[in-house]
Amino acid sequence: MKFVRTALLVAFAALACAAVATAGRGITVKGSDTMVILGQRWAEQYMNKNAGQIVQVTGGGSGTGIAALINGTTDICQSSRPMKQDEKLKLRDRYQTMGVEIPVAKDGLSVFLNEANPVKELTIDQLKQIYTGAVTNWKQVGGKDATIILYGRENSSGTYGFFKDNVLLGRDFAASCQTLPGTAAVVNAVARDPNGIGYGGAAYAKGVRDCAVRKDAKSAAIMPTAATVHDGSYPLTRYLYFYLRKPAQGDVKKFIDWVLSPAGQKLAVEVGYYPLK
Amino acid sequence: MPKPRKTAWTAALLLAVSFATPVFAQDEAAPASADTAVVTHEQLLRVLEGYTEQIQSLTNDLDKLKKIKFSGYVQARLESGEANSDTVKVSGSPYTATTANLNRFYIRRARLKLTYDTGALSQAVVYFDGGTDRTVRLLEAYVTLLDPWTPLHDHQLTIGQQNVPFGYEVERSSSVRELPERSRAENVLFSGERDRGVKLVSQWTPAIQTTVGLFNGGGVNHVDFPNSDPTLAKDFVSRLRWSQGTFDVAASYYFGRNTVPLTGADATAKKSRVGFDAQAFYSLPTLGGGTVRGEWYMAHEANADSAKALIVAPTSGNPVRLLKAGANPDHLSTDASGGYLMWVQNVGDRAQGVVRFDAWDPNVDTDHDQYSRWSIGANWFWDGFTRVTATYDAVRTETKTGPRWTDPKDNLWTLQVQHKF
Repeated sequence: MKFVRTALLVAFAALACAAVATAGRGITVKGSDTMVILGQRWAEQYMNKNAGQIVQVTGGGSGTGIAALINGTTDICQSSRPMKQDEKLKLRDRYQTMGVEIPVAKDGLSVFLNEANPVKELTIDQLKQIYTGAVTNWKQVGGKDATIILYGRENSSGTYGFFKDNVLLGRDFAASCQTLPGTAAVVNAVARDPNGIGYGGAAYAKGVRDCAVRKDAKSAAIMPTAATVHDGSYPLTRYLYFYLRKPAQGDVKKFIDWVLSPAGQKLAVEVGYYPLK
Repeated sequence: MPKPRKTAWTAALLLAVSFATPVFAQDEAAPASADTAVVTHEQLLRVLEGYTEQIQSLTNDLDKLKKIKFSGYVQARLESGEANSDTVKVSGSPYTATTANLNRFYIRRARLKLTYDTGALSQAVVYFDGGTDRTVRLLEAYVTLLDPWTPLHDHQLTIGQQNVPFGYEVERSSSVRELPERSRAENVLFSGERDRGVKLVSQWTPAIQTTVGLFNGGGVNHVDFPNSDPTLAKDFVSRLRWSQGTFDVAASYYFGRNTVPLTGADATAKKSRVGFDAQAFYSLPTLGGGTVRGEWYMAHEANADSAKALIVAPTSGNPVRLLKAGANPDHLSTDASGGYLMWVQNVGDRAQGVVRFDAWDPNVDTDHDQYSRWSIGANWFWDGFTRVTATYDAVRTETKTGPRWTDPKDNLWTLQVQHKF
């Protein structure tokens, strides 16, 4: 009995006195596939300019990054959508905080069409009808008589979440929507498919055509360009975020400060995104 | 002399590679020259398209499987009660008294949850527990219907065996709670936390949420009616919550009837509960997040002492259970109150300290039947899924012995390892 008590007392004291032993392992960044190239470029240039600093960047999707933030397996989560309420509550359950949200760049979420597709513009409502399966033929939105082939992202993707919340207004994607791992795969699929439509970060639009988007039938059709994303007139403009468990400190703060500096923001533009200011 | 040895190995490796490379090139070149005219660019593309279709088919199958989610957790525990205590307690009321086991290893909770989430307008959950008494039992089983008229499904109807939507502690999972057990007041009023019924949760604004529900009323741990509802009317429960994120506050109300089984017609008495809870969260630059939270329950509830006083207990010679002559069944219930106040402070990302005071008074009109407890604990998060918890409960259980009262020694040490998946 005495032994058990002593063992418990020792364990209790050890746990109560345990401090964080995480120093010296560098900075880990996980999350959005949309942001993974951007994050890697930020990390490379930051490490080049700061000898001895290690920043490891991996993708997996915004949802995966947020789960890693909650599980304590990453210092920074990259996310191409805001955290959901239930994710914030999970974070709060574990760390007693709602997390720290830091916008780090802007992005225009492009709607990709095949170069041969005669459709030039779509309204948000038409996109919603297309992706929920209410509209299934290009003829219904001013195109040729052909079945619309939908391409999209997995549900762990922040791009998927942003599109679902802002275009589908929370409705579910049509069952016929083919989910692909990464925006590059979506772009490739649409480039090969004359009846395909996809969505993803504007930086990936190579070999496909961006579709102009109207907020509603009365609004002007807007293309995703640096100017329209920057001034917010493009309807599918979004922020890209870093999420932390608590206010940044030490090496993490230095890295984030650099990302937000003119040098970090310039790099975001070089990769194909848009600066905050 | 590790350096020259390393250099020698490197040189040998380079030599081997330099000799081997032309051989490999030759080996590859020979068949390639024969096949070059056969494999065209278009054929390669077709092969790739075939693979793409296969991957697409696999992805579609995987998407279907992703709708089935398994989750759960295991809590393995070492408990040690005080030497002259007669109990090592398991939560619940009445708690399990195990005289022989003053200190022991046991599995407090071993839970497996299966969720089928179509992502459409409904969801089903089946949840099992195999801890404590080593028998697998159904903990929860319910279907949730999501409203189709709001984008984020702001109104959700759940029917089946589920947590009673009252207060903060009842619905908070044991896998995330900072101390191993809930407060005593919650244990007594909502023993087992679950009941069978229906609830409607509505999110009116990002901050305001209401819940209304109808339940059998006995709860899954009811001694006499765990599977049936002897009262015609269902128990009503409601909750209004305002959540700002760093400060949340809520009020809960419950109204129903208690049934006390007797030989012949059972006795029924009114049952009501009112609860208030609040949680405040903050973040310190170095230590990290912390929270102060509290909850208070006021209840009109069947009381075990009243039952003893008002009911003739059955004996082998006279196996009937009847109200004593002239006893009023309404007096089987008493006004009760209880709650807790607790403080949690994270220390970095891995460690956490907790202090809680909780109290329970089963009859506010009687002295020296109160229960109170100071709990102090620490959590160490081994990784993202496993944590180690150590707690000490200093318990005061006021017990009447004639004109005096005593406090039996029943303090408790707990060491627990939890893995959540």
